[in-house]
Amino acid sequence: MSSYSGYTSTGYLQQIAQQRAMTRRSFIRSAAVAGTVGRLFGFAPLRAAPLPRERKTVVVTFGGGARDEETFAPEGQENIPHLMNELIPQATFCTQVVNRGILGHYVATASLATGVYERFDNFADVAPRNPTVFEYFRKGLGRPANDTWVIAPSNGFNRIGQSDGTQFAPGLGAQVILPKHLLASAISKTSTNSSGFDFLLQDNYENPLYTPPAVQSNVQLSRLIEMLHLSVDDFTHHAKTLSSADELSVYVMRQLMRQFAPSLLWITLHDMDVAHSGAYSLYLEGIQRTDRLCAEIWQMIENDPEYKGRTTMFILPDFGRDSDFSASGNGFQHHRTGDPLSRTTWMMALGPHIRQNRTVDRPLDSLDLLPTLGAMMNFATPTASGKPIVEVL
Amino acid sequence: MHPRDLRIESFTKYPAQGRALAIANPHVLKRMPLILLPLMLGQIIQYDWSFPPEREQILLHLKFLNHLDAASFDALMSSFSAIPLSNELIEIDWVDHPQRFSEQLTAYLWSQHQIDNYHRTAQEYQQRLQTAFKPVPPAVPRWTIVVVGRGSQQTEGPLFRRLMPQGTLFTEIDRAGGLDMLLDAVSLRAQQHPLEYGHWYIDGGEPHPRAAAGVPGLVVMSYTKLASVAKQEFALLQQFTNRASKGGAIGVEAVSSYIASLTPEDLNLGGTPIDALLRHFEANLLTHGAGCQIYSTTFVQWASRECLHRAQPLTLFARFATRQSSAPMEQLLARDPLMQPQDQAGSLIDADMGAYYTWINQSRLAGADQSRFLVWFENHRLACAIAPPLAAGKISTAPITMGRLLNLMA
Repeated sequence: MSSYSGYTSTGYLQQIAQQRAMTRRSFIRSAAVAGTVGRLFGFAPLRAAPLPRERKTVVVTFGGGARDEETFAPEGQENIPHLMNELIPQATFCTQVVNRGILGHYVATASLATGVYERFDNFADVAPRNPTVFEYFRKGLGRPANDTWVIAPSNGFNRIGQSDGTQFAPGLGAQVILPKHLLASAISKTSTNSSGFDFLLQDNYENPLYTPPAVQSNVQLSRLIEMLHLSVDDFTHHAKTLSSADELSVYVMRQLMRQFAPSLLWITLHDMDVAHSGAYSLYLEGIQRTDRLCAEIWQMIENDPEYKGRTTMFILPDFGRDSDFSASGNGFQHHRTGDPLSRTTWMMALGPHIRQNRTVDRPLDSLDLLPTLGAMMNFATPTASGKPIVEVL
Repeated sequence: MHPRDLRIESFTKYPAQGRALAIANPHVLKRMPLILLPLMLGQIIQYDWSFPPEREQILLHLKFLNHLDAASFDALMSSFSAIPLSNELIEIDWVDHPQRFSEQLTAYLWSQHQIDNYHRTAQEYQQRLQTAFKPVPPAVPRWTIVVVGRGSQQTEGPLFRRLMPQGTLFTEIDRAGGLDMLLDAVSLRAQQHPLEYGHWYIDGGEPHPRAAAGVPGLVVMSYTKLASVAKQEFALLQQFTNRASKGGAIGVEAVSSYIASLTPEDLNLGGTPIDALLRHFEANLLTHGAGCQIYSTTFVQWASRECLHRAQPLTLFARFATRQSSAPMEQLLARDPLMQPQDQAGSLIDADMGAYYTWINQSRLAGADQSRFLVWFENHRLACAIAPPLAAGKISTAPITMGRLLNLMA
């Protein structure tokens, strides 16, 4: 309890922090409006053609935490040219999405998927207690197992596809792919030296010496490789052309879309969590890569007849990162303080029935995602705490 | 165990000065709520290796609590007392392992959605202490000098964007002898204002020969010296996880507790009793920081933060160097960071942000409105100076020597 932190309450640091907080809404709004200009003379219908019979949904979360300063704030927009110039003009953009739960990536992403703030230890090998969107989707619409998938980093996300069974019978969850494990399994089946894949096998930045329990058996992994019709040689060969774990995830996503065209697809990107190393430049690179990959995912959707014109894509960080002005934190490096900026982030939605160039300024809750998906895809989400976001329905 | 059950014998494992402090303040310690007490005990355990300002803070804190009457004491603690604790927390050996308690407490507060309530309560408590203590500004204005870009030839993006609104950007610095002039200024301050742990030099690479040779009154730290210590830390951690995982899965908290328990001796940080305090500080940096073991840029930023936070120096000279290129974490943990290809462009971006954070951390200290801050792109013409005599948000394109700039700031 030194005098150190107390000075933020009276000094000019606090004024700067307050200015940032007060202008948050306006600068993000300006980002969205900037997108409007480019579309002003184009054809930008408020609503697209009649809704397709069978909707598909893709959810992209950033399991790395991203701050406004490095994304939609004026000084951060240079890091996200694809989101700014390609996606925002087509999107409804929610400027204030508040996460009131635990700021750990697995537990926060699980909370997004259940619509309830889960309370488990972020690093524990446990399933969410509450039913997941994948179970609601499959049960509500009577969909088969291959119609919903999750692609996630390997640092604990393996249990995210299905709740712990206390409220929902087992067997209705999503299949979860951990690309790192898939690649490791593929490598083990070839004579290929694994050293060239090191960057792709890295997806745990917060506790690099902590190894989560083994999660997928070789049998399961072999089955996944067969299901995806992946030639092991082609897979490993292509993987060599990639430079990050997230690129591998998007590559696997492409295979999934081609093979199964799942109606509900959830992918968590994680490269930007390299921020835990304290190297700001690497954090920025992670954001820039994520920006590019988001645009690639949208292109994949637009170029795939199974998805084009019938798919809604949501993009949202799971939460932010600590403010520069929070004395108990160390700025962008971690997400431990629970300060307002680390809890407040954004979300965008794109798709044929989503109004373009629209900004939603009212505060939303992270938990609103799940009931929105339910309302959009027509399945019930009785245990979810949030409320449907009417602006995207 | 309940705080009221504390006895003199409870503190037998504490270092000598810390033990004496605990024994001298039984009344306060026994009445503190358990949620807060381990924090205080952690500071008392560290007392023997605390810097003078930290010691003063602990003493003031205890004195303040000792002088409160019972009703005021209970009222001050009531918000903490209202946060329920689990039996598992209560049963932890929080007297000898307060760090372990704090880690478990953090996880518990998050899981119970009490973390915001706890932060709010802690901030209110902190403000109450601030009001009572009235921090005293240093006798002379604090100076922080940050040098970035060593080993980097040029920058693609603009530097000092975040700092510029606070100070004046100089674009025509005479580079000749700039580093020596800065070191002269730091040495002179150490000589004119002698203060124990009051003047620091922190380097991300090899220290400047003059600093390495020793400047009276100047504490010198460098990444090159501590990189081998970080390797030892990783080796010990690897041994621990291998050992522990034989008994089943180990939790993150167990790993964190183990790292926090490592001493300078465990880390092969040799020295004499005279520099024990500095060795504990160095060990603390490496065991409590993230990324500072593998990246020199993170090291300088983190060490500067902790130095300002804990030692509250009159003078800090922080010099960033290049860091090793990025690599998969397994490689980063295993290889020698000093023998790898360097990421020049990335290092400059890291250092630019590190300079900004260093200014923020200096601004948190007493006397911030009179503090001086200078950041210079080493061997280049660009610098940003923040000081009361200089206008904020201005650009000076006039040629100027480093010595003249320092005079303008004074």
